[in-house]
Amino acid sequence: MPPKPTKVTNRIRALRFESDEMTQADLAARLKVTRQTVIAIEQGKYSPSLEMAFEIARVFKRPLDDVFQYSAGGTDDQLSA
Amino acid sequence: MTHELRQPGDDDPVVMTAEERSVWVYLAVVVITSTAYFAVVIPRAVSQPIEDVSWITPMLWVLGFSIAGTIVGSVVGSVSGAVGLAIRGINPEGQLEGDQRDKDIRRMGDQRAALAASSAMFVVLVLAMIGADLFWIGNTVFLAGTVGALLETITKIRAYRRGF
Repeated sequence: MPPKPTKVTNRIRALRFESDEMTQADLAARLKVTRQTVIAIEQGKYSPSLEMAFEIARVFKRPLDDVFQYSAGGTDDQLSA
Repeated sequence: MTHELRQPGDDDPVVMTAEERSVWVYLAVVVITSTAYFAVVIPRAVSQPIEDVSWITPMLWVLGFSIAGTIVGSVVGSVSGAVGLAIRGINPEGQLEGDQRDKDIRRMGDQRAALAASSAMFVVLVLAMIGADLFWIGNTVFLAGTVGALLETITKIRAYRRGF
């Protein structure tokens, strides 16, 4: 069964790689969630709550929109045009 | 491509959380017990007058087995999940207990079950108003419980597997 597409994409996998190759299990432990949830978020199968999204951004010491991107049928450039 | 970035540990086997395992157990129990119940009661209902059909005793057995089966199955599932991780040398910490995603999925499933229950209440009310035999009232409630449980578990499994 193909994953349900979500409008929220993220760079968590890349940011983990940039953060001393943080594992999914490490990130899950810091967020106090299961590794399965981290995997689901990375694969776009689960959109985390706003609170969890901020916690993830805090772990990577990045602004929220460096971690998550939202595209409602177009890019930010297209939306602002 | 960010999708190709894989850190050590990313390829470790992923196990079901205890919550997801419980959903699978519940689905199996509902399918087995409901099938058994209808396999006993439907032939009786076809071969004799409805008011003579003995359905209360089979239903009590099925409800008892459902409750016991769900509890025992969930415990066995949780223990086997932990043992499976231990055998493979994987730390079970953070892999089995539920979190916010499990709560969100549980809420979605509960909403479907509540929809089936409220629909059944309306049908039962109509049956009572027209003075239907208790067989129809009792079995409508049971059928609604089965349908509600199937909707609930399938919704949850879809959410776990496909995302939401």
